[in-house]
Amino acid sequence: MAMKRKIAFIDLSTGKIETQAISEKIRRKFIGGRGLDSYLLYNHTEKGCDPLGPGNTLMISGGFLTATLASATARTHIMAKSPLTGLLGSANMGGFFAPELAWAGFHHLVIKGKAEKPVYIYIHNGEIEIRDATALWGQTTTETQWSIREELGDEEIKSLVIGQAGENLVRYANVMTGIKNSGGRTGMGCVMGSKNLKAVAVRGTMDINIAQPIEALEYNKKFIEQITSSKVNQTQGTLGTPFIWGATNSWGGIRTRNFQYNQCENADEIEPEAIDDIATETIGPHHMTGCFGCQVHCRAQYKITSGPYAGKYDEGPEYTSQGAFGGEPDCKKAETVLVGNHLVNQYGVDNLEIGSIISWAMELFEKGILTTEQTDGLDLSFGNDEALLEMVHRICLRKGWLGDVLANGGIPASETIGQDSFSYLIQVKGMSNLHSDERATPALALNIATSSRGSDHLRSRPAIDLYHLPEKVLHKIYGSPVPYEGKLSSEHTAYEGKPWQVYWQENCYMAVDCLGICKYHTVFLGPTLPNFEDWPKVIKYNTGLDFTPKEIWDVAVRCNMLERLFNLREGLTRDDLKKGDTLNHRYYDEPCQRGAPDVVGSTIDREKFKKMIDEFYLHKGLDNNGIPTPERLVKLGLGDEPSHLL
Amino acid sequence: MSADDQTLSTAESLRKTRTYGKFRCHNPSCMGRLQPEAGEGQVKCPECKMEYRVHWIRPDFPRIRGPVWDVNRKLAEAALKKKLEEK
Repeated sequence: MAMKRKIAFIDLSTGKIETQAISEKIRRKFIGGRGLDSYLLYNHTEKGCDPLGPGNTLMISGGFLTATLASATARTHIMAKSPLTGLLGSANMGGFFAPELAWAGFHHLVIKGKAEKPVYIYIHNGEIEIRDATALWGQTTTETQWSIREELGDEEIKSLVIGQAGENLVRYANVMTGIKNSGGRTGMGCVMGSKNLKAVAVRGTMDINIAQPIEALEYNKKFIEQITSSKVNQTQGTLGTPFIWGATNSWGGIRTRNFQYNQCENADEIEPEAIDDIATETIGPHHMTGCFGCQVHCRAQYKITSGPYAGKYDEGPEYTSQGAFGGEPDCKKAETVLVGNHLVNQYGVDNLEIGSIISWAMELFEKGILTTEQTDGLDLSFGNDEALLEMVHRICLRKGWLGDVLANGGIPASETIGQDSFSYLIQVKGMSNLHSDERATPALALNIATSSRGSDHLRSRPAIDLYHLPEKVLHKIYGSPVPYEGKLSSEHTAYEGKPWQVYWQENCYMAVDCLGICKYHTVFLGPTLPNFEDWPKVIKYNTGLDFTPKEIWDVAVRCNMLERLFNLREGLTRDDLKKGDTLNHRYYDEPCQRGAPDVVGSTIDREKFKKMIDEFYLHKGLDNNGIPTPERLVKLGLGDEPSHLL
Repeated sequence: MSADDQTLSTAESLRKTRTYGKFRCHNPSCMGRLQPEAGEGQVKCPECKMEYRVHWIRPDFPRIRGPVWDVNRKLAEAALKKKLEEK
């Protein structure tokens, strides 16, 4: 049974390993995955600890439904205090690791301390050992995974690994598995590097009994039909996430030249249809692959066909790499996007963060704040493909003055570079956003300003707000499982009703992250995808536990509040430009220059936006300073945190 | 999606609202339904005049590939000029 999956506490300083069952009481309160990790983080990380010190605790988990008969429940979640932001660190990835971890007997790992020398953890059917990784240090993410398989003599082993970026403590280093599955936000690979932890390898053949297997299979058939029939997933199964580029770049939602423009003009070569023509074995209906147990197959594969990396195989690029190596630096060659994507996968670094930070540096170079002396002679002009890729190497290897400075993240880099460099940095809570431009979309702006892990599109973004859905449909979606009769607007340029949508999405995304479900299988990019009403039976048939839609919602609200409590404990204040729920001044002061006629000239209205945040806080049970009311904490059962139930 | 009763969830009930062969214009106050001719590479919005390049996922399933640059750039420049003059 999924209920039998345990939690393991592993201390790398002492070598001590303990395992523990996860009670039904804990499951009812936090379910699992990211939700339970948020509880563990709050309870097992000391206030104010150094994110790179032994006092930081690293959580790795699968979802409650992972490795059951439920579709697309293969997500792995990783959490710690972030070395990039000093606040919540959290990353979520697909692939095959989490199911293997569950078959090896575990849903959650809690990793403390720091090893004296490079190590990796090997988990095999309930057994856990800490092994020497000296020989693995310096290897790429792909090499590391194959070296572990060769050393242990089992090609079925699945590993979470870091590359050289994590070893070099690049503050936004990824945890990786497979070729391109990335736990890629807030620097969780950097935390692994700080612990001398090169990898976590798992192999499991332990059965997971299904509570009602026939019903689970029957229900899953309907689930698969619901998921694969959605228009968005049919599109993703052909073009992958880069399909988003076409519409977004048409209306003017692509950050270009850091934040100077909101559309990457004439970038036809980095459209997915063009990439399909340029690279071999790539995007298209016959070249897509997927994660464990998923029928959507949104992951493209490719071989680079030209230049110094010709012949190299990789996976992606995702929409995020189109922005990181295309729109933001204003580079328009498909080869640059494909090579950039390959480099970040092999080094193990966040493509969103590195693309955004290099583009910021390009704007500083353009304005004369950075000079060729600081770039070691590199012409860091926008549109310089070679300079962009060279900076990826320099950052991941901490090579040269600027490479080393940018490896520390945007805010520390701005403090080193000085002048008014910070005012050009597009970040929230110290983390760069996706390459999206939210000046014409107040709901999306509210999402990035208030997201728990910093500027981010995967924690509360109401992406369907862009679809102009009728208000009746919006009320149907956003009025369940908790009634909502307030205003909702079909206009994505409107401010009214958006705080509830962001709040609803925040809880929806937390729920799927607890269950281990991929966001492409819920109301993220498609309104007809399953949500709260559809999950109780999946949980019951697979695990035997009864949850109502409202009970799942309540768990999500509780876990989101735990993340808020952690951030407040670590220094979040509402209006702090570096650690608050704020936007860069450019959102208010610099109008959009390009895009659709109704988008040009757009800025975020400062006063209306402030009211949006007030209303969002009200929904969350926070006061006007963003601090939870005692009543809401008691109502959520969080009045006595940290409670140390685990 | 219920396995043991006929009640439709919200997600299921919204499936009947799906349409193929069309997509929306992406000018926010327009958002009109555009229906390109089968296999056509471009479509123009009759309301706001924005023009799009089209990719076909299937013969009955078009998507926006990107803007027709020259047409839409002129529309954007005119709109921006007008807005700046009104300020």
